[in-house]
Amino acid sequence: METKFDVIVVGAGPAGASAAYTAAKRGLKVLLVERGRGAGSKQVFGGRVYAAPLREIYEGFDKEAPIHRWVRKERVSLVDGNRMVTVEYESDQAASFTTYLTQLTSWMVDRAVNAGAVFVDEVRVDSILRDGSGRVVGIDSGGERVYADIVIDAEGVNRLLLEKLGLVEKTRPSQVALGVKEVIKIGEDKINERFSVAPGEGVSWVLVGAVTGGMPGGAFIYTNKDTVSIGLVVYLETAVEMVEEPIHVMVEKLRTHPALGRLWADGDVMEYAARLTPESGYRYMPRKLAAHGLMVVGDAAGLLLNTGYTFRGVDYAALSGHMAGEAAVKALEQGDVGEENLRSLYEKPLLESFMVRDLRRHRGIEWFMSNPEFFKKYPALAAGVASKLFDLEGEAPTLLDALRSSAKEHGLSMFRLAMDMFRVVRKL
Amino acid sequence: MSTGEAKPKLIRVEDLLQRTVYDVDHRAHIVVDSEKCAKCPKKPCTYLCPASCYVLVDDRIVFSYEGCLECGTCRVICPMDAISWNFPVSGKGVQYRFS
Amino acid sequence: MSLKVVVGIKWVPNTQAVRFDPKTGTLIREGVPSIVNPHDLDAVELALQLKERYGAKVTAISMAPPSAIKGLEHVIGMGIDDAILVSDRVFAGSDTLATSYVIAQTLKRIGDFDLALFGQETIDSSTAHIPAQVAGWLELPYMYYVDRVEEVDEKQRTVTVRRMLEDRLEWYQLKMPAILGVAMKSQKPRPVSIYNKLRVRMENPIQVWSNKELGLDPRCLGLKGSPTLVSKVTWTPEVPRKKQVIEGPPSEAVKKLVEKLCEEGVLPFEC
Repeated sequence: METKFDVIVVGAGPAGASAAYTAAKRGLKVLLVERGRGAGSKQVFGGRVYAAPLREIYEGFDKEAPIHRWVRKERVSLVDGNRMVTVEYESDQAASFTTYLTQLTSWMVDRAVNAGAVFVDEVRVDSILRDGSGRVVGIDSGGERVYADIVIDAEGVNRLLLEKLGLVEKTRPSQVALGVKEVIKIGEDKINERFSVAPGEGVSWVLVGAVTGGMPGGAFIYTNKDTVSIGLVVYLETAVEMVEEPIHVMVEKLRTHPALGRLWADGDVMEYAARLTPESGYRYMPRKLAAHGLMVVGDAAGLLLNTGYTFRGVDYAALSGHMAGEAAVKALEQGDVGEENLRSLYEKPLLESFMVRDLRRHRGIEWFMSNPEFFKKYPALAAGVASKLFDLEGEAPTLLDALRSSAKEHGLSMFRLAMDMFRVVRKL
Repeated sequence: MSTGEAKPKLIRVEDLLQRTVYDVDHRAHIVVDSEKCAKCPKKPCTYLCPASCYVLVDDRIVFSYEGCLECGTCRVICPMDAISWNFPVSGKGVQYRFS
Repeated sequence: MSLKVVVGIKWVPNTQAVRFDPKTGTLIREGVPSIVNPHDLDAVELALQLKERYGAKVTAISMAPPSAIKGLEHVIGMGIDDAILVSDRVFAGSDTLATSYVIAQTLKRIGDFDLALFGQETIDSSTAHIPAQVAGWLELPYMYYVDRVEEVDEKQRTVTVRRMLEDRLEWYQLKMPAILGVAMKSQKPRPVSIYNKLRVRMENPIQVWSNKELGLDPRCLGLKGSPTLVSKVTWTPEVPRKKQVIEGPPSEAVKKLVEKLCEEGVLPFEC
């Protein structure tokens, strides 16, 4: 039996599938190994994908991919108890869509298989093999070894293999966030009606404040074809200190929230899911993204952008996988899979790409993402201002009056408020 | 907000986990050293494991792997390094469909 | 000549995922994935032990729609040598009689097998008919609740098996070829391995047989060949119970529970 491949890709998520697709399409002999049953069965994400990078990788993406709804409305809400202040942006352009990652990944793996990659599921890779001089030469699964010139590590956020190799430290709570999600079926027409969207168009909604019990993090709501995905993201470092009730109770409170629950009260919870996500990609990035015979892609490479109002993981993962696939083709053409060559073929263009530029630019997000005050006081402040302006019983205050008196109630000076706002704007 | 509409009821975590599909292996993919847990002051796993796999009974941690969502949270937050964590083999464990 | 073993596999819905919709009174099947009947994996494991002990060649068979290929890939991943999927529209709607007929005819076509192993029952219907009926069609010796194969004597053409009953163990010697029903949960099915899974992709070990190959009389197949009628299905009514929750640490709560059960007189011993 053949036991040597040009490339072995570990993990068939968006990053791994895209790496396998690109490398196989260019004629390499590719083995794509996945621990789950079939493609997609271990995949969880929030709910929205940016399309542009995927169009570049996959021909006919818009026509064939399992797209649920194009996001036409973006909502951000500050939640204080049962009150909330919401900003909505509506556009006739849609750059992103909602889907299930289980479906999208499955579609990508099908593409990789059609391009000639060998896909093996139900197999857990236990370690990445190195020879005596430290060069990566293959993988080990349950004591059985398979060899390749290049291994692409797409193992995801839980980096058991990279930790074993000593390329990264054990993940710390300060590096990751926990996302917990429910998918609720309410029907296609009801979604169109309740979210005021046309068929095929959808809403992406981010909420901060009381939804996480004031813990840094936030909640999300995405409309799929006939379901909604709702969930929470909490930063583990602060959650460990601040958590006061089980996380599943917090998700259930989101689902039954007085101001939100009406949207899906008659719905049926179809699935409950959870995953870790790199908190602030740049902080989770390994010291190097390539070694002799090895490239690291996707979540394992810390490639997830969280700006506070939007998350980008799937397209970054796919694009990094695609870049690693192309680098593998070039490296094998040149007959050099050494560390230096792989870093110049893969890591260098990746670090210069818009992805890593964005990750660097949004680093300031860490400040207010790990600043509990932002998540407690500002939603309360915003709701307080709105209440003073709109829950009128007597004289109508001016906006500045309302802001000043609400700030005072929440122990914030106008100066402090201005400074914080300035910081947030600058860092976003 | 009193619109008179039916208010959704909270679902207990045991029932919530029934909405998710599993093919449970007879081998546990996570092993917990409960002696270490006994010395753990905060036991954050009892709050942050989304599948409630870690439960306090008589001040002791009782762990069950069957409902595990394979997120990795416990591995990262455990202050006692009491958890040997891995993924299930043979495609067993959680089988996501709509996520 | 080495031992030849066949294992029967059923591709069943993962019943854990099937929910009951109280509003409509029907089962919610949307998105319910199928799995290899878990009790069949005990038979697979026992067959693989025979492969290790006697160098047996093991073939899996399944009568199912084409999607069951996934299940056959799973058992080949565990180490089964090859597989036959018996798949044809004319088989659709078969009850256990028609199904066992098709499986018996498949075994006949395979021909020179020594042992055919089946799981004790399936999680989606639990009839436990198939192995007994297959033995009936083929007029072969049959033993069920088998948890161990003690010895295969290839010269004498006999197999000695142990069977596990509630209160005792029994040993039987059967003439081969023989049909065995393997006791559920009696084995620890081994994991899938990467080389076995690679074999699925590289060697094409799965054949598909339709009724063209088997040439069976359509009157004996599918709905036509199925005399079983489901006359009625009822849901177990909820029995009103006292439902008391005893609070406190388990050690004390158990004491209280035993006291209460004693008061009710439901314990089989003096309190």
